[in-house]
Amino acid sequence: MRYADFTPYDIILLLQGLGVTLALFIGTTLIGLAIGLMLAVVHHYRIPGCRPVIVIVTEALKNSPVLVQLFLVFFGIPAFLHIRMTPVEAATLTISLNTAAFAFVIFRSGIESVDRDQIDAAKVFGLNRSQILRLIIAPQATAFAVGPLVGILVNQLQVTSLISVIGVFDLTKIGNILNLRTLQPFIVWAVIGLIYYLAAKALAHVGGRIEAALRKSVKWGGI
Amino acid sequence: MRFWRVIEPYIGFLLQGFALTIAACLLAIAGAVLLGALTASMRSSGNGLVRGFANAYGDLFRNVPFLVQLFFFFYGLPELGIYVGAFETGVIAMSIAGGAFVSDVILSGILTVDAGVIDAAKVSGLSRVKIFTRIVLPIAMRVSVRPMGSVLINLVLTSSILSTITVNELTGAAKIVAATTFKPFEVYAVLLVLYASLTTLLSFAISAVHHRLNRFMTEG
Repeated sequence: MRYADFTPYDIILLLQGLGVTLALFIGTTLIGLAIGLMLAVVHHYRIPGCRPVIVIVTEALKNSPVLVQLFLVFFGIPAFLHIRMTPVEAATLTISLNTAAFAFVIFRSGIESVDRDQIDAAKVFGLNRSQILRLIIAPQATAFAVGPLVGILVNQLQVTSLISVIGVFDLTKIGNILNLRTLQPFIVWAVIGLIYYLAAKALAHVGGRIEAALRKSVKWGGI
Repeated sequence: MRFWRVIEPYIGFLLQGFALTIAACLLAIAGAVLLGALTASMRSSGNGLVRGFANAYGDLFRNVPFLVQLFFFFYGLPELGIYVGAFETGVIAMSIAGGAFVSDVILSGILTVDAGVIDAAKVSGLSRVKIFTRIVLPIAMRVSVRPMGSVLINLVLTSSILSTITVNELTGAAKIVAATTFKPFEVYAVLLVLYASLTTLLSFAISAVHHRLNRFMTEG
């Protein structure tokens, strides 16, 4: 029982876990938002054949458990294509695509929230399609999308805990290790939960401020 | 067809897992609705302490990953001398996590009922029970069906996490099949499609109920 006590080194272990969780979360968020945005633009331009594929794939990703997606990517794809894949690669791929699916839906509704009349007016002014997208649609769609996006990202931060199941040493995995060593589940999981809670709150706070800043510029000032 | 050939010998086993998933979801949704209703009424209470407690519960369980909550209960309950099986632990954890979301839905449903409507019902001489069952509940239900449905769908997706605490529900069963057949891609691809179809069907059903309850409304 000599090694069953908590040691100061456990704090470093927790910080490492938190680092892995945050790094993976930030990485997958950036990739996911980029892919989601790309899909929304492709969807907006009505490229033939793309729309149904995008909608079916994103719906499948949104409507199936992330754990199953992780298993499919981590165990399924290497066995099927005979390639090697590390847990981190599988986790990055899966969570990025999952975030992309949710981001796509939000960006799409953001784009669709822009009034048809504005686009007609911009056409009359002689703006071309990419100018309309960049100058008219993008700013308004962003302001519309930030709120729901923050909600999704807070959720995705919690979803990253699932990557511990395929062997990524994130915060939850560290919790598992400490739990098995100290046999004090109440303290260990309460601390892990608290760290996730604080991270989620911080994220929501930052998101709220960004949203407020963006909304200020589009607020209807009256005539 | 190669997918079917891999799955076919294990259909019975997978169906057992599926039955366990359904059982867990039904029990959890019942627990979540009970707990959510209780929390929602506590959150609308006049007592600040009661309100604060209920708000803290909702806030906490929505911002901590379900996996962490599940491990907390799975490893923690025996410490308290409560020995229940993995399935029961999973149902308890899903109910508690679900209750936090359901309380939001119920609270916002009740808040949509106009105070004037309740005053009118009182003036008409309806009893308190009648007011609740005949006036408040139907109006609240009308707006709550969709959000409640998404909580239910989330619970179905969340139930897959029970496989991490040795419950052989659908995902747990599929894990065993994948390990036995050495064909993880086929097994998990089928599983993903199964879950997606199940939740899509559920969302259609929820839409149908929503339209049925709102059939006298002019819009929405």
